[in-house]
Amino acid sequence: MAIVDPIYEGLASGWKHLDGSDYQGGDKPETLEADVVIIGTGAGGGVAADILTQAGLSVVMVEKGPLRSSRDFDMEERTAYPNLYQQAAALKTADKAIGIFQGRAVGGSTTVNWTTSIRTPPETLAYWQSEFNVKGLSAKELEPWFEQMESRLHISQWAFEPNRNNGMLRRGCEQLGWDYTVIKRNVLGCWNTGYCGMGCPVNAKQSMLVTTIPAALSAGATLLSRFEATAIEHHGDKVYGIWVQARDQNLAPRPEKLMLKARHYILAGGAIHTPVLMMRSGLADPMQLLGKRTFLHPTVLSGAVFDEAINGHSGAPQSIYSDQFVWRDGAAGELGYKLEVPPIHPVLIASKTLGFGKSHAELMANFNQLQVVIALVRDGFHPQSQGGNVSLDGRGFKLDYPLTEPFWRAARAAFASMAELQFAAGARRVLPISEGVGYLNSWQEARAAIADMSLAPLKTVVASAHVMGGCPMGEDKNKAMVDSLGQSHYLENLSVMDGSVFPTSLGANPQLSIYGMVAKNATALGGRLAPGSKVPETAPDTDPVADAAPETASETISPAALL
Amino acid sequence: MNRRKFLLTALGGTAALALGVSLYQPQLDLEVDGDKPHRILFSLLLPVLLDGALPEMSVPRDAAVNRTLDAIEATISVLPASQRDELEQLLNLLENRLGLLLLTGNMTPLLLRSPAELANQLESWRESGLALFNQAYLGLRELVMASFYSCPEHWSLLNYAKPELPGIKS
Repeated sequence: MAIVDPIYEGLASGWKHLDGSDYQGGDKPETLEADVVIIGTGAGGGVAADILTQAGLSVVMVEKGPLRSSRDFDMEERTAYPNLYQQAAALKTADKAIGIFQGRAVGGSTTVNWTTSIRTPPETLAYWQSEFNVKGLSAKELEPWFEQMESRLHISQWAFEPNRNNGMLRRGCEQLGWDYTVIKRNVLGCWNTGYCGMGCPVNAKQSMLVTTIPAALSAGATLLSRFEATAIEHHGDKVYGIWVQARDQNLAPRPEKLMLKARHYILAGGAIHTPVLMMRSGLADPMQLLGKRTFLHPTVLSGAVFDEAINGHSGAPQSIYSDQFVWRDGAAGELGYKLEVPPIHPVLIASKTLGFGKSHAELMANFNQLQVVIALVRDGFHPQSQGGNVSLDGRGFKLDYPLTEPFWRAARAAFASMAELQFAAGARRVLPISEGVGYLNSWQEARAAIADMSLAPLKTVVASAHVMGGCPMGEDKNKAMVDSLGQSHYLENLSVMDGSVFPTSLGANPQLSIYGMVAKNATALGGRLAPGSKVPETAPDTDPVADAAPETASETISPAALL
Repeated sequence: MNRRKFLLTALGGTAALALGVSLYQPQLDLEVDGDKPHRILFSLLLPVLLDGALPEMSVPRDAAVNRTLDAIEATISVLPASQRDELEQLLNLLENRLGLLLLTGNMTPLLLRSPAELANQLESWRESGLALFNQAYLGLRELVMASFYSCPEHWSLLNYAKPELPGIKS
């Protein structure tokens, strides 16, 4: 059976797509114009592009990563990580203590995530309202937007039996009387193979790659892939253009540049890259908020060996979660944690476990009996949980994320909860993924060992698949860079529409929160920008940045001429 | 000899000296291409890090080591420049006598150390209270583990295979 590849077919039908690796610029940089330029094609950029094109606006989307589609997805980590993830899935915090999985391809993280779709917890929204003066984002006000995106992206409760990895999470919760929920997933005609993290090979996952981006391109939008936004040209309270630089097939910079001009600009490069672009461009930040309070849901892992086969590589990666411990001590109390499971594939497990030699080989030999629970720690609410700090360094950026005492308290509690759950589900042995503990043979043994175990950066494996914050929203300029609609407080034609606007982490997987909030904000923006072909405003002669840049002597070309 | 060839030879010579190649030539079961960067170094570390995972028989063992050495090169090639540079620094230190002194407390070339001594060295980095040593251990460990287990040839150990789906490339 041939799999329909909407990207391949769309390109054949004449979509406007420019690949930076084979773009041939002339002597002078060319200019591309549209009503709206969107930097980033993930959960934020994809939804914004769809809504704004449907509103009749011309849109240019920019993605640093490549355009890959189902025919490229071979279900192997060695292909997927370098092609589809930031830094080949080896992105780490500055001290190397936290490994971060973040997508980097057309569709962003939605191309590689595990499809878990959870509405923003009401506790989080209430906290934002009271602590950060965020307006218009109550659970009730967001409900129609979540409903709209759940319908658009076929988000519904997983109707099939969970795989055994998730099934053990459910069994443990049932045995202990803990809360659990069947996850909603954004899939249509899912084959239940378990390879979401490597790009869906059958286009069942309703990521941006197969939904909003094709819709926008079919409606006339232009996609630039392997182009990186390098600088925002601005003066006074206006943005006048964004430079994008071509990248080669290995994503190394090429000399070719383009100037993108628009009536309005949307940054949707994700937490980390949106604040980095703003900092690199020298945008106003009088309260020094950019890059601060970056949140990761830092995650600890617990392995368990069962007598029965688990085969955690097979079947929907996430279908059950437990919120038993997320809000137990109130939003600003002890850091809560959400219990989920990850898919179990060779590289992921080999690298996110402990030790080497015979002990590691033995662990890997139990691969199919291995069950893994993860605890995602809800950071950013407790006064001593201020998250990380993204800053520019000579070659790019670095992310410092101090793991503070409240985090370690949560981690210890989480190791205990995970072990208790795994033993209750029938595990023979449990292995907290932290140096010095080893296999534990009973819940009684585990309870004592975990109470005494030492936890530390680089000794305790900590990972993250959710990056949030760094460009917070709210109505108070002392605490926020953008307002509650994502509109910049300082530049009248700039918005931010991605997870960087979250004032704290969410306590839930972020994709549906971004979809819902961006649907709301992009719809408002589309209503504000009357459809039409108004010529973008040009920089005044006195623009010091433009004067300094010889490339601004550019030729204006139409998208059609480029493609 | 052109300049490039001269430089490569000189660099290769330095690395070989630090690894002890010029002093001691144990019988290697595999052909190691010393012209390729860090291949000798990894050929020493792989049997230690992958002890228990590599086949016992010499022919399949050599094949698995060579396959992993290729995979390590491929892995390094896709790392972003800043990470590649950091890794290169570590590898260069391990191939340099003063670097060895800094990282391991003595100048004995790695090639002269037994697998047990190399394992003890890795353990001491793993358990160290200094972040630099932990990072060195984790960097080497992650690179080797990810490279070895990314190869479909090594999945039979796990009784794992990706599914064969109709219409999907294998």
